[in-house]
Amino acid sequence: MSFSGQTYDSGVFFDELIDGEGNPRPHAAALMDYFRGLRPEDLFERQRAVDRTISDMGISFTVYSEGDNIDRAWPLDLIPRAMPGAEWDHIERGLVQRVRALNLFIDDLYNDRRVIADKIVPAEIIDSSRNYLAPCRGVSPKHRVWAHVTGTDLVRGGDGTVYVLEDNLRVPSGVSYMLENRTVIKRVFPSLFRNLSIRPVAEYPTRLSEMLNSIAPDHTAGRKPEVVVLTPGIFNSAYFEHSFLARTMGAELVEGGDLFVDDDDFVFMRTIEGPQRVDVIYRRIDDTFMDPEAFRADSMLGVPGLMRAWRAGHVAIANAPGSGVADDKVVYSYVPEIIRYYLDEDAILPNVPTWRCSDPDHLAHVLATLPELVVKPANESGGYGMLIGPRASKAEHEQFRALLKADPRNYIAQPTLDLSTAPTLCDDGVEPRHLDLRPFILQGSGVSVTAGGLTRVAMRKGSLVVNSSQGGGSKDTWIVESSK
Amino acid sequence: MMLARAAERVYWTGRYLERAENTARVVQQYSQLLLDLPDEVGVGWDELVRIFGASGAFTARSGESDEAAVFRFLVSDPDSPSSLATSIRMARENIRNTRDLLPQESWESVNELSHFARHNLAATTDSEDRFEVLSECIGRCLQIDGILVGTMSHGAPYHFLRLGQCLERADMTSRIVDVGAAYVRLDPDMVERFGSVLGTNVLKSVSGFQMYRQYCQPQVEGRRVVEFLVRDEQFPRAIACCLDRARRACRKLPKGQAPLASLEGVAASLAAGPDDELTAEDVPVIMDRIQKQLDEVHRAVAKTWFLPGGGEQ
Repeated sequence: MSFSGQTYDSGVFFDELIDGEGNPRPHAAALMDYFRGLRPEDLFERQRAVDRTISDMGISFTVYSEGDNIDRAWPLDLIPRAMPGAEWDHIERGLVQRVRALNLFIDDLYNDRRVIADKIVPAEIIDSSRNYLAPCRGVSPKHRVWAHVTGTDLVRGGDGTVYVLEDNLRVPSGVSYMLENRTVIKRVFPSLFRNLSIRPVAEYPTRLSEMLNSIAPDHTAGRKPEVVVLTPGIFNSAYFEHSFLARTMGAELVEGGDLFVDDDDFVFMRTIEGPQRVDVIYRRIDDTFMDPEAFRADSMLGVPGLMRAWRAGHVAIANAPGSGVADDKVVYSYVPEIIRYYLDEDAILPNVPTWRCSDPDHLAHVLATLPELVVKPANESGGYGMLIGPRASKAEHEQFRALLKADPRNYIAQPTLDLSTAPTLCDDGVEPRHLDLRPFILQGSGVSVTAGGLTRVAMRKGSLVVNSSQGGGSKDTWIVESSK
Repeated sequence: MMLARAAERVYWTGRYLERAENTARVVQQYSQLLLDLPDEVGVGWDELVRIFGASGAFTARSGESDEAAVFRFLVSDPDSPSSLATSIRMARENIRNTRDLLPQESWESVNELSHFARHNLAATTDSEDRFEVLSECIGRCLQIDGILVGTMSHGAPYHFLRLGQCLERADMTSRIVDVGAAYVRLDPDMVERFGSVLGTNVLKSVSGFQMYRQYCQPQVEGRRVVEFLVRDEQFPRAIACCLDRARRACRKLPKGQAPLASLEGVAASLAAGPDDELTAEDVPVIMDRIQKQLDEVHRAVAKTWFLPGGGEQ
């Protein structure tokens, strides 16, 4: 396989578009024909057209500590990542299963705690989790759903198996970039879409709006519930997305200062006509910043009394406070058992094999084989605080051994994954780069999954770090209907 | 229903877009004017700063008061509060903050304007492209205004946008008239020789030359120009016309009595004058009063509709 005369070889890694023989996979044949027909200068020209469109559309993300320059253009590679429809149907079933089980699990943890009584998950793991929030006990939100929006991270290993890497049940971001990536690629390559059947993604804001309406408190029956998006404000790294979702749903975008809770525990927003009742809050701020009365007294972002209003059932909050307890990476390692316990089914999507350092046998194995493993803290996100064994120095190995022994509950370890690759335009032409995939799952009265999701790419050669805050890029993700 | 915070940002979007356009217009016309006047008229670059009411800030910022320093201060300096670059940046920030309320195309257009400004404004200091660059900025501001007028529903956000725009425009016209009238007063000789050049330029800086010609006088006469720019009810940049449109916006908004009363006060000032005719001596006094009254209107608007404790956005 070659692009513009330059050899393309993904080596030992599974490539999403090219098979082991160097031929395009069937679902990527038309896509590869098109890109292989372009001269190198055409490829770079099209990439510039992509960049220009992104800049004109103002698609940006925010990076902290860059002084005035808070906006960065969103990085999008021009070559889409494609997956066959039949494979996606299987993954979608697995995601629906997983999210349904996790919501039953969270509801159980804050109420009857049967899962603990039945010895599926040990009590000390839950009670020591800093995402298990005491003020949520005894609450059962509508439909018994806590995590209304989930952004599950999927990766494909060397043998082609798709694994769940993380569940992201708190405030997952990226869905607006999934939508904008598609808009840009359609603008720049209209002809590509004409002859292919690619599942659309554009209905997400409608689905999100339906889901938020479906969780409105019962007292709103007979009128349209007032739905708002709560953002920490313009300096948050995902502000672009908060604004995008509010705009596309036709909901108000509010900050903490726009809301207040009255003496009867109802939530209002301050408008030009005076106070106005709020029924559903899609919150994009962390649990513990939501209400300075219940959690961090120093939070300037939240709304005093919000937890009172939520506990009284006067307002619905998505995702519900306390959902993050199932996001703990130690809890993650129990998800296959959790699925079996609540649904009496085997997990459709496998977990990445995980060693819990809280288990003395696991810890001994992790300490002995540390240079081959990836070690992750239980409650961080965005790739922070990790050790990638094979890339780390001896000193870093020693440092992590000390950390693991001092606080084993807060670490898990996994084998280093051979993340799959896809052809990506780099400085010297088209080369393989590692990627992952984040689909978005909505659960209210029903469950829906995006067709595909956000593909993130590690732009540096050999790198496995896909986070945009650390130099990652992205691709449009195509679920291609197989021809009959 | 509209958030108090959003109302404030949309209002400032209207103000900054208008300020950007006016700044480009005035600077462009002033550059042309200086080409027509000999040095002895005594009109210098620092007069331009006076139009913007920024003489104090200018002296504090720039040691020199030559053409290049004035251009930096009013056009390209991103840190100068009075520069075109700053107005464009603030307009973009406010649109960015209210993207859920404004048409998507207005965001794309303000981004394009902002890229254009970043790459081209610095060059206006000493370049032959000055006229074209400023024209392009004016054109792009008008394009954004056109998108907003042409595609926004006439609900609360639209009226706040218009209110901000009209107050800003009335303020700028009052400043232009004030400075223009100052020369008419200077010296009868000068007025004899250059009055029509000045009057023509004052009109052109608000794109009012043609409309003046069509609806008023064949001759450009200082007093008539002032009359036109202050009291005409049909020319959209005349103060009376701006105030009328601001009043209309307030009437469409909930609880607008206080700002409306305050606007009636400004309108009353326009009508003042013994024989109902403005004299060159009256002009600075009246313009000064109008500017102070416009500030009061702004305070009434903020008190009625914005979040308590909010500042300029």
